[in-house]
Amino acid sequence: MDKAIEVKNLIKDYGNFRAIKGISFQAGKGEIFGLIGPNGAGKTTALRVISTLLQVTLGSIKIFGYDVTREADKVRECISYLPEEAGAYKNLSGKDYLEFMAGFYSKNSEEKKNIVEKGVKIASLDKRIKDKVSTYSKGMTRRLLLARALMINPRLAILDEPTSGLDVINSQQIRRLIKSFAKNGTTVLLSSHNMLEVEFLCDRISLIDKGLILETGSPKELKDKYQVQNIEEVFMEAVK
Amino acid sequence: MNNFYNLVKKEMKELITWQMILSLVFMVVMFGIMGRFIGGMEEEQKKPVEAAVLNLDKTSISDNFIKNMAQQGNVQMNTIDESTTERALEEAKQREEKILLVVPGGFGKNIEEKRAAELETYSIVKGLSLAGIRGGSLLEIINTMNRQMALNFIQEIAPDKEAKDVMNPIKTREFVVVGDKTVPGNPVMLWSVVISQSIMIPVILMMAIMYSGMMVITSMGMEKENKTLETLLTLPVKRTSIVVGKMVGAAIVALIMTGVYMIGFGYYISSITSGVGEAATATVKELGLVMSSASYLLLGTSFFLAILTALSLSMLLGLFAQDTKSAQTMNLPIVLLVMFPFFVLMFKDVENLPLALKVILYLIPFSHPTIAAKTLIFHNYLPVIGGVAYMALFAVAAIYICARIFNTDKILTARFSFRRVKKRV
Repeated sequence: MDKAIEVKNLIKDYGNFRAIKGISFQAGKGEIFGLIGPNGAGKTTALRVISTLLQVTLGSIKIFGYDVTREADKVRECISYLPEEAGAYKNLSGKDYLEFMAGFYSKNSEEKKNIVEKGVKIASLDKRIKDKVSTYSKGMTRRLLLARALMINPRLAILDEPTSGLDVINSQQIRRLIKSFAKNGTTVLLSSHNMLEVEFLCDRISLIDKGLILETGSPKELKDKYQVQNIEEVFMEAVK
Repeated sequence: MNNFYNLVKKEMKELITWQMILSLVFMVVMFGIMGRFIGGMEEEQKKPVEAAVLNLDKTSISDNFIKNMAQQGNVQMNTIDESTTERALEEAKQREEKILLVVPGGFGKNIEEKRAAELETYSIVKGLSLAGIRGGSLLEIINTMNRQMALNFIQEIAPDKEAKDVMNPIKTREFVVVGDKTVPGNPVMLWSVVISQSIMIPVILMMAIMYSGMMVITSMGMEKENKTLETLLTLPVKRTSIVVGKMVGAAIVALIMTGVYMIGFGYYISSITSGVGEAATATVKELGLVMSSASYLLLGTSFFLAILTALSLSMLLGLFAQDTKSAQTMNLPIVLLVMFPFFVLMFKDVENLPLALKVILYLIPFSHPTIAAKTLIFHNYLPVIGGVAYMALFAVAAIYICARIFNTDKILTARFSFRRVKKRV
């Protein structure tokens, strides 16, 4: 497997509190890998460390062979991170926001225009794309942010609860979109506490609880191992 | 460079809002209105004083006195023909006169016999505004008349003497000495010209620093409130570029705001200081108390570095802001650091301060441009160069610390809670 993500014995402390207690996992290129667990399990912290937002306390993380501590700038060129509670600049219009973000990934105006066009298509906000972000609903903002994360065709998309705050129809569209990006070679690392979503989306998953990984494998492998019907039941068995 | 430009452009788009533009326009309009109002009041003061006159003396001396007074210029006499002061006052009130001058009986006789003759002035006050009280102008005319009559008496009594010399036996000639130059002039008049030169610079600086500090702290507060900071920090752009981009964007917006503000303020100041005479300005020039182009360059550098220091300090404070509301509170220490030297140096020269206060002022970076504005007039470059070097070091250190913090977890985890501070206390 060509490794896109390689996490080895990762520990993350916030002062005296150890949020992640030594986790290891790998994800291959074009794979959709999920970190699954309840609130406070350490999913977001893990994603933030992998995204170079937080520093590694102990252990190592490599993204496409680049070390997140020593080669953070190189890692940032490969990734696109969508935080769970992200927002957009409220005084900008949706299009202005996409243009601002595209500016960091394009070498010329033609390339920038193409990226923005793609973003506008993914966001599918129609005429509202020209309105200020402050006038958007939560779902519209989330679609804009997801468009921002995916429009640049990142090598690795790190998505923290990608369908958070979206209704069923929008969630389905987003899931299909993520799948199509993975088919075209983008590696996706996502976190979710929606077990059904994970089962639909992910090639492989790690079950995480209290800063530790309990199990790693494909949804099918894990269901077979625990002889249960769905991932929710796998999780319940694993935490016993 | 492209990334940097992108960041600066975004900062400016975020900070320049309709609310901000409207408040700025409102402020400038207010200054304009205040300037016009004060200018109008001065015009009002220049108009001739209208006074009602009741002559109870009715002698040729009092008639001539009133006629001469009217010829003094800035006064218009409206005669009232009544028999008593009380009736004349009633008449004056009805005519909406503001001043009544009463020449009592015996005035002419006293003058003739070279005794002090009394005059009565009644100021009819309807409001306490400056424009409403005009009695002072009439007294000035009476004083002039007094002086003229005294000179006439002296000439009558001692025709062989120069009346003016008898009246003022001591004459003064005033000189101001600066360095090796001695020029005739009055130090108070000089001070009024120099202060009008050096007061504008600290005021502009104070506004620029307060605006830029507020802009950069607000920008950080907005990033945290809108939850955009995390995304920004994962973009393929150097953290130093993010820090400097924010500072430059905020500085441009702040300078635009300061410029617009100063147009209004300049108009307002010019309408209240238009009285500074040309003679005083010429004296200042003759004494060499005018800044050279090198001085302007140094002052500009000092000014720029003070803004840069304010921006970097504000950025440091902004890291602890949770939202725009808390960001505005965070700006308070910067405002105090700007206001303190401004007010101290407005009334005192740094050299005349006690040692402890002098050290405190030199340690506050924002004192230096104000000190520079004063010392450069006297072509004293050394303290200014020292100040520039100090501010440059201060700003570089603050930007370095900011960039370091941007590279650590603290950028996301730093919190400042007044509640926590209170608990510790």
